[in-house]
Amino acid sequence: MRVLGGWIALTPELPAKLLFGRHVWDCAQHADLWGRRLPELRAAAHESAPANDAMVAFTEMLESPEGPRQTLERIVGVYGVLKPHLVTIYARHLASTNAVYEPPTRRILVRCLEEERRHAAAGAIVLDRLARDAAARARVADWERRLLTVLEKAGGVTGDATAPLVDPAVLGVTPEVVAPDLVQVPPDFDPAALPADLAAAVDALRKSLESGDDAGAAAWIEPAARDALRAAFAPLAGRIAGTRVVGLAAIGRQQMVKLRIESPRAIGFVQLRWTQTASGWRVAAGDLVSTEPVSAAP
Amino acid sequence: MDRPIAYDKLAREDRFVRMRARDVGELKVEQGLPPFPDLASRESIRERVHGIMVGELQAMEGAGRTVYDFPDAPWEFTMDMARQVWDESRHVETYLGLLEHLGGRVGEFPESTILWRCACAEDAAARVAGVNRGLEGLACDVFNQLIHIAQKIGDPIIEKSVDYVLADEITHVRMGSRWLNELTRGDAERRRKAIEFQETIDERFNLGGSRQDGHHELVPISIAKEARKLAGFTDEEIERLVKSTQRSQVY
Repeated sequence: MRVLGGWIALTPELPAKLLFGRHVWDCAQHADLWGRRLPELRAAAHESAPANDAMVAFTEMLESPEGPRQTLERIVGVYGVLKPHLVTIYARHLASTNAVYEPPTRRILVRCLEEERRHAAAGAIVLDRLARDAAARARVADWERRLLTVLEKAGGVTGDATAPLVDPAVLGVTPEVVAPDLVQVPPDFDPAALPADLAAAVDALRKSLESGDDAGAAAWIEPAARDALRAAFAPLAGRIAGTRVVGLAAIGRQQMVKLRIESPRAIGFVQLRWTQTASGWRVAAGDLVSTEPVSAAP
Repeated sequence: MDRPIAYDKLAREDRFVRMRARDVGELKVEQGLPPFPDLASRESIRERVHGIMVGELQAMEGAGRTVYDFPDAPWEFTMDMARQVWDESRHVETYLGLLEHLGGRVGEFPESTILWRCACAEDAAARVAGVNRGLEGLACDVFNQLIHIAQKIGDPIIEKSVDYVLADEITHVRMGSRWLNELTRGDAERRRKAIEFQETIDERFNLGGSRQDGHHELVPISIAKEARKLAGFTDEEIERLVKSTQRSQVY
């Protein structure tokens, strides 16, 4: 619950962000149910302790991917390892509880089992959507394997769980069943959103940038903004390998166009404010809003 | 994970254009436009709905951080914040739907991070005072107005959707009222600082001075007194808010 809550702000992708947002409350209710059950079993309410140091290490590893490009690790950690493991443990516990003596515990287990199964299935859908290529899927498999290794050292959340720690046989919720649980997120940005005349101007500027034609690029920028734009582009100095329109936002009649600019060493995002002049669309101002090393970019 | 995280760690898809609210307002005024959507046209309503959608997104992110950032807070507080995360995620879904209903798209207007920055206050009491009571109180006023406009233009989809969200916001303000009291019980200084933070927000984020006391037909955004009373605001607090709007900064 806490880790999902903390990750929401750190996760760029809307499908993952909303997946976490949907499940924080379910997890809180599960924790609350277990916490309230504890004193009924002669333990302190809402007090818990990790099974062992290895379990602490697992938890720390689970929550360690907090960079904006580590969403896949976040999802697979919780939805591919932890929740399927909880389902496995809950299912075993339920099978071993006494139906006469332990209905209060069994009721909690049944509810948590059902909801954790749905969570895991929903996470799998989002993971499948975001892990688009072989490299991404390899990252997912690698992180899953590493986490499972640490979880095995801990003996699972209980400290004494036997293999397999994740039993696919008890997961049992198909993607079709759980699809309605997910927020329907709008499609990715489509550059066709740019009006035709603005698109033509933006394309001409991009071509100038990509071909290293500084004078050609400057012609699309209002004279008063040229120095500031030159300074903004400085961190991307060197040949611009490619550009792409990734966003468009209206400010009255002006349009803020967001470009992704690739140079050999860095990926930069610039926001260019376009305004209509007597000569047509021109850039009135712009900022470099972020850069990241090429190695970190998707 | 750090507790709390820096403002600039807020992660967004590339399609979002982030700008300061003040800069956006000034650029619009330079074009002879009102700094904030006046809801006089469908496009203006769309812009307002987009602004609310990103506000809900930030509210979800902020409540999520509160769940994480304060492991030693009372358990019931954490439960309330976790519930709020879920509510806000549903509000995002609602406003994504309304945006589509209005022919808009995600990222169509710049995003400012006012709410998020308030949600990064270091003290839990300041967060609930500033976000739950200050900004969600403002949301009550804004949503009340949107419902009124929707009724006027005969759009039951907007009217009913926003009405459900308003009910949740009242609950969130009520949570804020409860936890402001409980978290600061016996600590007058902490309470004073939290309330001061909320009042700063009430004064600064006043939609360009358009939030005022009066009937919907007479003022741009009417202070939703009934909703605020339901949410635990006292008459004295509402009166103070009315006074603050009369000396508001343009934001």
